[in-house]
Amino acid sequence: MGAVDISLWGLALYYGLLIIPLGAMLWMRVPIVGKTLIAVVRMTVQLAFVGLYLQVVFKINSPWLNSLWLIVMVCVADVSVIRGVSLRLRRFIVPLFAALVAGTALPLLFFVGPLLKRPGLMEAQYVIPIGGMILGNCLRADIIGIKNFYDSLQKGEKEFLLTLAQGARIKEAILPYLRDACEAALMPTVATMATIGLVALPGMMTGVILGGTNPVTAIKYQMAIMVAIFTGTAITVVLGILMTIRTSFTPYGVLDHSSFKK
Amino acid sequence: MKQLKEKTEKGPMKEDLATPSQPCIEMQGVRVVFDSKLVLNGFSLTVCYEEKVVLTGPSGRGKSTVLRCILGFVKPDSGTIKLCGKPVCADTVWDLRQLVAYVPQEPDLGRKGTVRQWLDRPFEYKANRDKKENLRQVPDLFHRFLLPLELLDKEVTVLSGGEKQRVAIVSALLLQRPILLLDEPTSALDDLSKKRLAEFLGSRGDLTILVVSHDSAMLSVANRSIDMGKGE
Repeated sequence: MGAVDISLWGLALYYGLLIIPLGAMLWMRVPIVGKTLIAVVRMTVQLAFVGLYLQVVFKINSPWLNSLWLIVMVCVADVSVIRGVSLRLRRFIVPLFAALVAGTALPLLFFVGPLLKRPGLMEAQYVIPIGGMILGNCLRADIIGIKNFYDSLQKGEKEFLLTLAQGARIKEAILPYLRDACEAALMPTVATMATIGLVALPGMMTGVILGGTNPVTAIKYQMAIMVAIFTGTAITVVLGILMTIRTSFTPYGVLDHSSFKK
Repeated sequence: MKQLKEKTEKGPMKEDLATPSQPCIEMQGVRVVFDSKLVLNGFSLTVCYEEKVVLTGPSGRGKSTVLRCILGFVKPDSGTIKLCGKPVCADTVWDLRQLVAYVPQEPDLGRKGTVRQWLDRPFEYKANRDKKENLRQVPDLFHRFLLPLELLDKEVTVLSGGEKQRVAIVSALLLQRPILLLDEPTSALDDLSKKRLAEFLGSRGDLTILVVSHDSAMLSVANRSIDMGKGE
């Protein structure tokens, strides 16, 4: 038993619900009506294209094509992180790409391989939705974590320089900032894990149930995906920060302000 | 080359210190430009071993920049800086910093933790781990600089400017480094604390001290003062 299909007319009519929040925003003069409309249009167009593309990808189910799709997703996430943190694209694109790949690939491969025991590690049905969920969370965590790290360093630069003068090596000096950045980046996932099932039914679990699977199986998937998300976000934030240090500090250990867009 | 590598791995040694005949701090023709503003223009300075020098002059003449150049926090656009005979560059700066204790102007002790934790922190760094014993001098130094011992358990965020300054001075002295760089160390101190600091620095004949200050108490312990408004 699969999920009931939604007719295009039905979906179009459902968009009518947006009149309520948009109307409220106009009435209260919340200045993001334009942005919201653009976001809704973007969401619709992007998802329509992705839906069409995924149909092809699922039909062909080539490991190479699936890998390529994941790499494209990582590239888009990479650019989004760099823009979100206001870093210089050229300097940070490679280290952050590597961090996102590591943070996504490790939990994904363990999920599809040892956990689901699928014969092919790159099956579209599994790697694309699960990879997407892990990557989406890595992207959010990276933006929070890396932004927190560099913002605190810039605000506390005097203290940071004093630690260098006291004899700290660069990794010793950045440790308190790295710790705070990890806390900020991981707290949303920790809070989600602590309230999951009580406050809301998560998207993956809902999707699996809608797909007609037994709720117990759905719960097991959800537990595994939470572990994957937490592991992935932790890896990508720590690696993301450690791998950008080489480009964001001078050889003297001083923060290179030209690494940031003003 | 091999010798140099070994020294770098072990950190600076006693022998790295300049002999009295050598300058301890040497700056030659240092030029620093910040955001197209000329801060130092061909600045030269020589501080001999165990000498105490005060830098004075109006604001914006680059006095603090001189200290920051010595520590490698500011890379000059041109000119050379030597510490104990060794040029300050990316390869040497990490070891050379271990010869220097620094107290910045209005020290920032961070956003969390107690004073005790803040004083302990430098001794967690690999470079200072073997000096943990120095922490035994905390009560004596606190007494000397009129700081109550109860302050050790207070959060760093609740300290007054003067307390922060004195705690930063204590921390610098605990590291027992032969060169002391102080940036306006008395700006938030009362007269008695200034006097105590001046007496202490004056009594430390073993230290090479470079101070940025306009304070008469600091000038009284100096062998020499340099007015950066006029140049050396």
